[in-house]
Amino acid sequence: MDREPLIRRKTAISYKTEEKTVMRGYDLSELAEEGYSFCDALFVLYQNRIPTEAEEKMLKYEMGVFLEHSMSPSAVAAIGVSAGRPNLPCAVAAAVTTFGGVHGPGAAHGYMLNKYLERAKKEGKTVDEMAKTLVDEYMDAGKPVMGMGQPQHIDSDPRAEPIHLKQEELELEGVYLEFQRALEKHFHARRQKEGRSYVGVNVVGSGNTALMEIGFSPNAAWCLGSVCRGFSCAAHALFNMKKGRAWGASRNEPMVQMIDLSMIKYVGPDDRIVPKQEERQEAARKQKEEGEYKKWVI
Amino acid sequence: MGNLTHKPELNQKKGKIGNLDSPKNPFDYSQREYGTVPLDDKRARFQWVSEVAYKNVHRIVSRGYDTTEVMEEGYGLVDMLFIDYQARIPTIEEEQMLNYVMIMALEDGLSGPAVMSRIVAQSKTFLTQACGASILAFGHAYGAYSAFGNRLERYLNQAETEGLSLAVTAERLVEENLHDEALGVSSLMLKDPAAKRMIVRAEKLGVAGKYVDFIKEIAKAAQAIIEQAIDLDMLGATGATMLDLGFSPEATWAILAVTRSFAAGAHYIEEIERDEYRRTGQILTPKDFYDGPEDRPVPPQKDRSKVAKSGICHTVEEWAQAREERKKVIGSGYSIVEEIEDPSKKSGIKKVGKL
Repeated sequence: MDREPLIRRKTAISYKTEEKTVMRGYDLSELAEEGYSFCDALFVLYQNRIPTEAEEKMLKYEMGVFLEHSMSPSAVAAIGVSAGRPNLPCAVAAAVTTFGGVHGPGAAHGYMLNKYLERAKKEGKTVDEMAKTLVDEYMDAGKPVMGMGQPQHIDSDPRAEPIHLKQEELELEGVYLEFQRALEKHFHARRQKEGRSYVGVNVVGSGNTALMEIGFSPNAAWCLGSVCRGFSCAAHALFNMKKGRAWGASRNEPMVQMIDLSMIKYVGPDDRIVPKQEERQEAARKQKEEGEYKKWVI
Repeated sequence: MGNLTHKPELNQKKGKIGNLDSPKNPFDYSQREYGTVPLDDKRARFQWVSEVAYKNVHRIVSRGYDTTEVMEEGYGLVDMLFIDYQARIPTIEEEQMLNYVMIMALEDGLSGPAVMSRIVAQSKTFLTQACGASILAFGHAYGAYSAFGNRLERYLNQAETEGLSLAVTAERLVEENLHDEALGVSSLMLKDPAAKRMIVRAEKLGVAGKYVDFIKEIAKAAQAIIEQAIDLDMLGATGATMLDLGFSPEATWAILAVTRSFAAGAHYIEEIERDEYRRTGQILTPKDFYDGPEDRPVPPQKDRSKVAKSGICHTVEEWAQAREERKKVIGSGYSIVEEIEDPSKKSGIKKVGKL
């Protein structure tokens, strides 16, 4: 049996021999035997350290509350992919890859906080002053402030404030929570001043703040969140694979299915005749000259 | 509303189009309607149906439990997996065991998932793209928890219906699946006690059950008929433990693939931190790696009819002969046979492998 490495790389993360698998110097088996939790192991993986009990509790809370979110882009992707009945990992991979610039943008939020904290240090401003600068700069530019607002939980995200409170209860307040709280204060004040409706902090705003506070980098925190959601998306895909209809278009189901023909609404160019090949060049040139097609280009 | 319409004027203007008016067609293509299908108001409108979870503006509820309340009560990530997949709160011992399993599943060095993540990272992508790719590395050989678990369930069902002992059933399973990558017993863990320690821990916590008993019998049966040294491997130990914790083979597959993806994120980060992005066309493949046809001139188009070979086989004999010839073209796919079926109820590929 060939046990050669698939690629040759120097790595500081782990090694595996016939005798053991070692991550950041710890034998995984020893780590598990000693009674550490999976969340403890994530600190070892990303930060090369055993966390305090409070930090472990914070991570356990944050990931637990983020894991399930019913129908979000990630679950919809998993269910959509599962309709074709591929192997389950395909649906899970699709779910995880929905996390980008809008859905759960944990890294973007983290980089934003780091960037403005750096500026606070450089410009000699307080955290509160820099949070106001951030809010003003983002809102003046018409850019969404990362971590604020949720399209479904329009009153306030049920996970968000409880995460802040848990962070405080566990006495894990640091510069990130101070900054995030100040950001929220100035954000609310500005929206109120402009006569705009209340928009609460979302789970990225609070959850990512907690993850950054307990030492995770923006990308590491993003990984914890987006991959964690993969657990529940797999459950949604599995439910549909085991108890739902493949393809999602059956006319025999009592409810109209996800991709029933009647679910298609078309708003593109009118029905038209395919030009004969002998007319092709003329038709193609005419289309380019008229330029009508440009409004459909995506 | 949809606009399903007949447009005879549009159809009349078209005239003959390719083979669409062939009498062999079981339809008259020129009479087909244009437009989208009207909304179906005879059936209930589409909704996302779920037994797993729902949410409203103010709550997220999984299997009846408000997830924020679950966390506030002191439960955590691992408990949520039992709730999502099994609609129940685990015992403390079960929660401890799943933590143990997930720690063991978190890292595996530079194996498939980490490599997938690193290769995607080289292309300058989002981290999530690399993590997703790592999950795709879980199949029916590497991370074969679905194939393994479904097989155990199938043979245990046979034992029940036929009144067989675990030992006899294990012997049957081994005889019929000896060389399968998902047996759960192999030469991989002869020097590493991790697999056996996991079983000991499951027994100590009182969560080991019929699946752990069965994999131990499978190991004994395999050892009795194979000359080389073999023993329980991580697939066998982890798969059996997860089944005894109540997770289905597919749930096990998903949970452990996602668990590994957390480490894939670290590999993505390290790849970027320590190495460089790869550009289109940057990577070379040395000729030393190549063992295909010798370099040869491309025939001019005027000679095409002289050098071209038809791939059409007119008889079964011709087809069989051509198939054998095509097996010699490595990369053609002719040496592989798979039975791809709906994986909803069991492992997707019933039989995979070389001829």
